[in-house]
Amino acid sequence: MNAEKLSTADRQVTFENVSKFYGDVLGVNRVNLSIPPGITGLVGPNGSGKTTLMNLMVGLIRPSRGRVSVFGLGPDDPEGLFRLVGYAAQYDSFPPGLTGYQFVESYLRVHGFSARESEALAWKAIERVNLVEAAGRKVAGYSKGMRQRIRLAQALSHEPSVLVLDEPLNGLDPMARAEAIALFRELADGGLHVIVSSHILHEVDLISDQVVLIHGGYIVAEGDIGDVRDEMEEDHPVQVLVRCDRPSLLASRVFEADHVVEARILEDGQGLLVRTRDADSFHLALNRIVLENGLAVDAVAPADSDVNAVYQYLIGSNGEKQ
Amino acid sequence: MAVYERNYGRYQGELTPSWSRFMILPRYAFKDVFDSKGFLIFLVLSCVLPFAGLILIYLHHNLAALKFMNLPLEQLQQALPINATFFRRGLDIQSWLCFLLALSVGPSLVAPDLRNNGLPLYLSRPFSRTEYVLGKMMVLIALMSFLTWIPGLLLFFFQAYLEGAGWLAANLRIGVALFVASWTWILVVSLVALAISAWVKWKPVARVSLLIVFFVLTGFARALNEALDTWWGYLFSLSTAMDNVRAFLFGTALDDSHMAQPVWSAWLTLAVGCALSLWLLSRRIRAYEVVR
Repeated sequence: MNAEKLSTADRQVTFENVSKFYGDVLGVNRVNLSIPPGITGLVGPNGSGKTTLMNLMVGLIRPSRGRVSVFGLGPDDPEGLFRLVGYAAQYDSFPPGLTGYQFVESYLRVHGFSARESEALAWKAIERVNLVEAAGRKVAGYSKGMRQRIRLAQALSHEPSVLVLDEPLNGLDPMARAEAIALFRELADGGLHVIVSSHILHEVDLISDQVVLIHGGYIVAEGDIGDVRDEMEEDHPVQVLVRCDRPSLLASRVFEADHVVEARILEDGQGLLVRTRDADSFHLALNRIVLENGLAVDAVAPADSDVNAVYQYLIGSNGEKQ
Repeated sequence: MAVYERNYGRYQGELTPSWSRFMILPRYAFKDVFDSKGFLIFLVLSCVLPFAGLILIYLHHNLAALKFMNLPLEQLQQALPINATFFRRGLDIQSWLCFLLALSVGPSLVAPDLRNNGLPLYLSRPFSRTEYVLGKMMVLIALMSFLTWIPGLLLFFFQAYLEGAGWLAANLRIGVALFVASWTWILVVSLVALAISAWVKWKPVARVSLLIVFFVLTGFARALNEALDTWWGYLFSLSTAMDNVRAFLFGTALDDSHMAQPVWSAWLTLAVGCALSLWLLSRRIRAYEVVR
């Protein structure tokens, strides 16, 4: 199958009513998902089913019920599926005694690439993760960050269309994180599906085009984080921070609107924190109030529209502390 | 909504045939094995017996050499005839060297991958569990072949070359027996060694387990047979079963007649041993592990 020739609608990773049980243990249940190109952040506490979802995606396990397909291919076509998918598991696992280059090259050979092709692709991938100088050294002597990068290289070395990365930012220093995130962005902008699981919510927020929140084996939310947040407005009013010169006047005016449930002046007296059930209407009303009263506004920013807030509202704990 | 430009191209070229990919696995295992001086010494020593056999066959056909050594041909033919027993006994000894090899190499084949959760690395590629096991087994199969049927058949054909085509036709059974008995033992020892490597993470414990399977169970079988005055205790002994199968294939008598058992029961023991090892491997060689 030529993935390049598929339409955008066909280039999806889909889960149709998928359940996976390990004997009596629930992995994931009744998952319906459609993951488009771009970076997708998979977020959930430990044991929530993230790795099960990833293993299902890459064909390592089969669903107990339902159907998983990557660009229309399932695990019954391993040759096709594994060409499309690149996977870096969360485990820090390397065959003993191999150098970074040998690690990447040997798995390319397992993939079915010729010796010459494997060599070229291995160097290309190693170059992408900036490990050329260390490629001749044994992986056992690598730092944790280097090990993460070489695992990333082996996952993308066969040039997959879907890259599934389990906790790929663990152990990376800030510089390496920035480089990895830039690489994910570059790959995603090139049309690749990059599916990343992480506990570090602000990073997921920073890099993801869409998120999938999973808890207890169930998908609790999915899609663009802004859209997810909008859908939660009724139960969890949106918080908007407005920095302005006369916050008390602004507070009295915004309370005229029904959708505003709370307005709190900041401790420094230089702004207002508003909770509203209709963010769009609030922003329109704010424009009007500012113009009518000649308020000097320094900044208007959402205060709880990031993944961290959504995660806390839906799952009830701070992911970073998991 | 992000606008995605398709600028990421996938590899579209030819791939190697899928049946050949399992042979990638032993590459670095061989390198590790041959890096060990101890193993190299063992390998050289294991060639001593085939080399001695080669000299013996040569002497049987070189009267000048015998005369030089002041050794009459009749005496040599009586003491060490080149027949089925000669080849079988040679294979007996080489087979135990195979066991020592499995004891040395076997425990480190699967256990490290399982200990480090390394199986997803293999199985997230177009590579099946069967191919993984086959790849790992290739290490043992190649090394054991070097000790058993390859030198055995070389000696067999050398003898046939010196004796003439008549001997080859009359003793074809020896050649077949060398090949079949070697492969049967290689399969049994490799599968048991891999199964133990898959279930026992510590190398010393894995080695002791292998010794238990091949020696302690034989002792248990003998004790059972003595106590109950029967033969079916040998159903638990893979090594005795192999001795019986080897004797049957070569058409010779067992050195120790107390160890005789019906041939069908010996094949049954070996088949059950292999099936049990495969079952144990299939239970363990999985891409994921569920922690209950």
